[in-house]
Amino acid sequence: MFYVSMFFQYASQYLKTRLTYRIDTVIEILSDLLFQAVNLIFILIVFDHTASLGGWNREEIIFIYGFFLVPYALFSSFFNIWDFNERYIVRGEMDRVLTRPVHSLFQIIMERMELESLFGVITGLVIMGYAATELGLTFAWYDVLIFISMVLGGAFIYAGIFISIATIGFWSDSRTDIMPMMYNIGNYGRYPVNIYHKVIRFVLTWILPFAFVGVYPAAYFLNREEWYGYAFLTPVMGIVFFSISYLLWNAGVKRYRGAGN
Amino acid sequence: MNVIEVQNLRKEFKSYSSRSGLSGAFRDLFTRNYKTLAAVDDISLNIKQGEMVGYIGENGAGKSTTIKMLTGILTPTSGSIVVNGMNPHKQREEFVRTIGVVFGQRSQLWWDIAVQESFRLLKKVYRVSDEDYNRHMGHVIETLEIGPLLDKPVRKLSLGQRMRCELAAALIHNPPLLFLDEPTIGLDVLVKLKIRKFLKEINEQYKTTILLTTHDLTDIEALCERVVLLDEGKIIYDGKLNQLQSQAVEGKQVEFEFLTEIAKNNLVFLPNVQWEQKDATTWLAHVNGDERLVSQLISLVVQKNPIKNVRINEVSTEEIVRKIYEEGMALA
Repeated sequence: MFYVSMFFQYASQYLKTRLTYRIDTVIEILSDLLFQAVNLIFILIVFDHTASLGGWNREEIIFIYGFFLVPYALFSSFFNIWDFNERYIVRGEMDRVLTRPVHSLFQIIMERMELESLFGVITGLVIMGYAATELGLTFAWYDVLIFISMVLGGAFIYAGIFISIATIGFWSDSRTDIMPMMYNIGNYGRYPVNIYHKVIRFVLTWILPFAFVGVYPAAYFLNREEWYGYAFLTPVMGIVFFSISYLLWNAGVKRYRGAGN
Repeated sequence: MNVIEVQNLRKEFKSYSSRSGLSGAFRDLFTRNYKTLAAVDDISLNIKQGEMVGYIGENGAGKSTTIKMLTGILTPTSGSIVVNGMNPHKQREEFVRTIGVVFGQRSQLWWDIAVQESFRLLKKVYRVSDEDYNRHMGHVIETLEIGPLLDKPVRKLSLGQRMRCELAAALIHNPPLLFLDEPTIGLDVLVKLKIRKFLKEINEQYKTTILLTTHDLTDIEALCERVVLLDEGKIIYDGKLNQLQSQAVEGKQVEFEFLTEIAKNNLVFLPNVQWEQKDATTWLAHVNGDERLVSQLISLVVQKNPIKNVRINEVSTEEIVRKIYEEGMALA
């Protein structure tokens, strides 16, 4: 309960700050939209050259992309702590965080939230809506609940991976280039995994399970029954990966060396 | 009652030294030369409720590391810490509710939002009720004279204004124990005085225990009866400030400015007095003894030679500490 009310406190504070930088906010939303448009155009161009990609047609791929945008938007709004090492470890902001009576990871998530990224949820829903009408998909009432749990699962997978990487900062304060690489690998989850080599497919399923943020859960809504098993694993993977990152975080905080003055 | 109980506290940092040259860098890839450095080396310390303790030492002496262990930020390598009856690192979230922390070089406030918004958020973080907040903070805001600053964003404040707000922010939950790490760094004299006055006040009013590190020893002189002196991670002095002065300083300096040039053999020679010429008409007497010897010396010199000015130089705490670091100190 305390954490819920803290969330609203931080969120309202965030909005106040954002209102003083209105133009920045608009520019950020526009650049997000542009980025999403470029991705969409890329899919369209690919399908100018081929009618299907590993047995998936153009609208299905667009649907997967639309689905991916929703958990990704949640991730970038709340768990996008790519600058953790630089900001909290090197500059010593972690000291301040650790002197407050709230879990340190929660505080950092609250401080780094970027609510304008939530706009991606709308874009994603619009894209999915378009693809679903083209494909003539129908949904039952409980699909809404399944959708929500899969979106949360996907967001937690992303969060788990990125938080785990951020915790490297507790052990080594040298700069790493893993973060941008992860953003790239994350994009592979938007395409059907059966088009990849089986090693890559294994990695995207079990090691860096980005496939659970796009193609696997989307397959459920596209009625691709051969993938249902994976699709329903999505929330489980989310819980597992987020828990791992949480444990790594707590272990990391014990190792925190602090920055010199 | 002891607020802080520290026993055999030790914090080691592992660092590796790199070998020189390209082949050295290559070897570093496989095996590294680790060096273990003890930033805090076997410290024991008790602080009672209501005490104001100055924690001093050179850069790198281990002050900040100790404070960070006492506040639960760092995990000790060995030794035990009990602060406010809790283990700071193990019970961190519960523990930090009972302390206030000010790091002079780091802001506790949110940069972009108005000071009062920061206060409001911190009030929620520490779960302070409205009545407690109004009763306590009204007074704090008044004494620190930050009322007019409350609606300004932190980034628009001057350092002195910000520091007063930081101090207020650390006191929102009215903690019984306050850690101040360099709270007056870079501040002008007026602000320093204001802050000192305020600290004294809350110490008297709420019996707040204060542990203070600073480079400015005048802070310590103004506030602390007790000082803990740290060198290379070890406590080399723990006791009253005035005792440190009397123990460390052998005698005084008397500066005589004469009307005319004086040759050395015209001076007065007493046991335990050494002369040093500063310029043609000025001589410095190093007196190794008490006030009686000083007055005896002055009267004898004045009888013999016409003088323009006499000055007795007290040795400042700053000089004492410098001396201790330069020469080392054997303390009983």
